[in-house]
Amino acid sequence: MRDVSVIGAGMVRFGKQPDKTLAEIAWPAVKQAIDDAGVSKPEIEAAWCGTALGGMMSGQRILKAVGLTGLPIVNVENACSSSSSAFREAWIAVAGGLYDVALVIGVEKLTRFGGGTLPLEREDFEVAHGMTMPALYGMRAKRYMHDYGLTPEQLAMVAVKAHDHGALNEDAQYRNRITVDEVMAARPIADPFTLLHCCPSGDGAAALVIAADSVAGRYSGKPVRVLASELASGKYMTGFRDMTTPEITVRGAKKAYEMAGVGPEDVDVAEVHDAFTIAELLYYEALGFCERGDAAGLLEDGETSLGGRIPVNPSGGLLSKGHPIGATGAAQMVEIVRQLRGECGGRQVEGARVGLTHCTGGGISGFDHGACSIHIFRN
Amino acid sequence: MSETVHAEPPLIAGAAVRMEEDGRPTLIGSECADCATRIFPPTALCPECMGEEMSPVPLGRSGRLYSYCTVHVAPRGWSVPYIAGYVDLPEGVRVFTHVVDAAERQLSMEMEVELTTAILGTDGDGEAFSSYAFRPRQPVSDDA
Repeated sequence: MRDVSVIGAGMVRFGKQPDKTLAEIAWPAVKQAIDDAGVSKPEIEAAWCGTALGGMMSGQRILKAVGLTGLPIVNVENACSSSSSAFREAWIAVAGGLYDVALVIGVEKLTRFGGGTLPLEREDFEVAHGMTMPALYGMRAKRYMHDYGLTPEQLAMVAVKAHDHGALNEDAQYRNRITVDEVMAARPIADPFTLLHCCPSGDGAAALVIAADSVAGRYSGKPVRVLASELASGKYMTGFRDMTTPEITVRGAKKAYEMAGVGPEDVDVAEVHDAFTIAELLYYEALGFCERGDAAGLLEDGETSLGGRIPVNPSGGLLSKGHPIGATGAAQMVEIVRQLRGECGGRQVEGARVGLTHCTGGGISGFDHGACSIHIFRN
Repeated sequence: MSETVHAEPPLIAGAAVRMEEDGRPTLIGSECADCATRIFPPTALCPECMGEEMSPVPLGRSGRLYSYCTVHVAPRGWSVPYIAGYVDLPEGVRVFTHVVDAAERQLSMEMEVELTTAILGTDGDGEAFSSYAFRPRQPVSDDA
């Protein structure tokens, strides 16, 4: 396999844009990534578009707008991991030598569904019996609180940290700082979560241009090397499982670190899938940033805030930056690429050299998650 | 136009629940004739060995509450708030369920719960529907 780097990154501010089409939401991100890379359109040989709910031919609809057509376009659906999975497919094709330059898009327009919880697959038995994503994470949180003594105040601090970071990100859906008291007093969604424990619904897009290292030097975009590109599906279990540790992330992280030749101690900055407050704490442990049961301590000590040992979600994460499902994986990568290039201004992690993205999701009975994709980058 | 009048709201769990003559529900899983894997809800194919000889197997009526939470926001039709939970049955099967006849503060992890049925919401035509549910096995106190 050849070495591959990201040479262009772009995204649009996440938020509610009900009056725009999917293509209108996405094309500015695509144009920004292409301009950032300094490639000409004919040099892009193939494109992958990740979207969970964008509908048929999302990639074609978007690339029609920028006049990039005729090339192979593949649309990828893997729930919240849609565009991180799309990135991996593009990476495989470039690393394998089929193409030198490829485009990855992540996009979603959730406002087309109105408000409320994410629409899940009704054929699933648990969904048909009233399972929702907040309920699933709520049960994880309740069990973790029981097993490890996590307090509601500590859980609320995850959201406070997310908003502290998001306030510094002009692409974030919510840029307001919040307090623990405000988190705990917000409207209840699924115990122990109030509205501010849950990622918002919204629209958005992000895009990346990747290239084989052998040609990356031809373009103006400052390359960021892909050290690991990893994708796993959940392990289906018919019986009991420990809901306080996400086995799919534990398994994926081990493989990603092996592929990258680095360990969790080498990671300078990470974007993890904080769809709900508890999730971020579970992922500190699953990704090896701390031991089982120590996540709240890591957070309280400020180690995962900007200025700490391992800043997590400097972008504001899903909780503050927003979570347009299919756009999230690509947007996490845009943030890490910008961090590793030193372009993040007030939220820059000083001296960051190794960055990690972690994107997981898909509520299906019998799985932790349907899919999980982990990528590791180095400048 | 004919009208169907239900003496009891229809159960939405299909083959996964059976009503006994005494009016009590039984959860039905399936068991693989080749590798003895038990699974809920019942399936036609064993996900462990791909065996197709799956027999319906009645599951125990009581189990332990693995986790639970009160759901305040749910898709249209569900009667909110409700308590969602996972119950671990003696057969080694975990069942997603609604927990009824108790407030969340009256529940605890690993509490013994037993099977019942309950009205859980209304369908698109405004008709009530029901399904299996679990409730605390011992009476709960108000000041718990």
